[in-house]
Amino acid sequence: MESVSSTILEAIALLFSGDAELWGIIGISFRISTTAIIIAMIPAVLIGFTLAYADFPGRRLLISIFNTLLAVPAVVVGLTLYIVLSRQGPLGEWKLLFSQTAMVIGQIALSFPILVAMSHSAFQSVEIRAWDTARTLGRNPLSAFFIIMKEVRFGLLGALLAGYGRIIAEVGASMMLGGNILNSTRNIPTAIAMETSKGEFAQGIALGIILVSMAFILTMSLQYMQGKGSIRT
Amino acid sequence: MTDKILTHIQFSNINKYYAKKHLGIFTDRKNSKTILDSAEIELKGGKCVLLTGHNGSGKSTLLRILAGMLKPNSATVATGFESLSWKKANKLIRRQVMYLYQEPYMFDGSVTRNLRYALNDKQLGSKANHQITQALKWANLEHRAETSAKCLSGGERQRVALAQAWLKQPSILLLDEPTANMDEESRRSTEELLRRFKDSGTALLIASHDVNHFSQTMDKRLLLEKGKVFEIADHVNSAHDNVSLFPNTSNKLKA
Repeated sequence: MESVSSTILEAIALLFSGDAELWGIIGISFRISTTAIIIAMIPAVLIGFTLAYADFPGRRLLISIFNTLLAVPAVVVGLTLYIVLSRQGPLGEWKLLFSQTAMVIGQIALSFPILVAMSHSAFQSVEIRAWDTARTLGRNPLSAFFIIMKEVRFGLLGALLAGYGRIIAEVGASMMLGGNILNSTRNIPTAIAMETSKGEFAQGIALGIILVSMAFILTMSLQYMQGKGSIRT
Repeated sequence: MTDKILTHIQFSNINKYYAKKHLGIFTDRKNSKTILDSAEIELKGGKCVLLTGHNGSGKSTLLRILAGMLKPNSATVATGFESLSWKKANKLIRRQVMYLYQEPYMFDGSVTRNLRYALNDKQLGSKANHQITQALKWANLEHRAETSAKCLSGGERQRVALAQAWLKQPSILLLDEPTANMDEESRRSTEELLRRFKDSGTALLIASHDVNHFSQTMDKRLLLEKGKVFEIADHVNSAHDNVSLFPNTSNKLKA
């Protein structure tokens, strides 16, 4: 019991000591995941919107495909991209394996189905009447799209948070595509996995505290904004 | 051509069917359901047409097609100036036709914000607030200006939608059951606003399953049945209209 509490204290001390290696890992993690979510967000929201409002052949099939992709484990995504990016793979020439770019690609692939599925359901929560109303009021398609985006802003924010939550804490694909190289591709989850396997829990707990705090802050800010939205007139 | 104000528009040969789809991809034309079968309708500025028909007869589908929200399988459109392809007509329709739902959709935010969405880029300048104030006054909604539009009653929502129409000033106003589920007072105030539109030269097309409503406002009564539109020549005002609604008399139904 004493050792657990002393490890936690050690972890907190490590966080406040400004340990360069620890904060370097945190920086890499946030940089990679933020880049991935920004790249994935725009096409995913557009696809979610199209799936919700447009009627075209194969729409239902596409929805089923994206919902299926939600359930694909991160390790399988990592393995697939590993094969594609490895030296003998179709994109082997690009020499991307074990780089931050490879990790960004992996995280885009992981967050994309969540972003599509959740933005699709966010758009679906607003009936087609909203779109038709904006259009009949004389708004052009782009302007109508932004009006609808505003209507579903909390649903879209929820999608972003869920997508971000999945990739920032994901270990399988990051490990396979990044290779856990210090100061390059070692991020929070791969560092936690490695430190734990070495029996050194302090750094792992310190990084865990960061992840949990981040999840808490993001969820609280979403709730705050939703609350503010509901009383706004 | 699109800048001309529409005073007369004729839609003819409107066909709409829903074909069954297998796996959401393959269309099965043999098992299609016909909603509109060579329907035709003519609208004129300052005239009010009441479209009746039982529930499920296709009134909403017809209105949504006329509003450019739904693509017909085929249709011909002619204005007082020219005949138009559906694509060209759609552009014109988007600008000059407005469709009001039975229960108008209110966007998140105040009544004022909802009215702002009806202003075009030119109107969004310094005079925007003045225009909105005028619209609120016109629809007797001044006391509701800052209320969340989603919290309004059905009658008030309809008045917000009409105030939006007042701001957009469409040549043609299409209304789907505008007074359904309304109390007597709301119904009267909605009818009064509609009369003002008519007096200002707007063409009105009102879909309603209740034939007894709008008797003071309407000039023509049409019946939509089995996908076709028939004229019912039972209204007192019909004598004032010297132009036949349909040149094709075979479509006429005596009531």
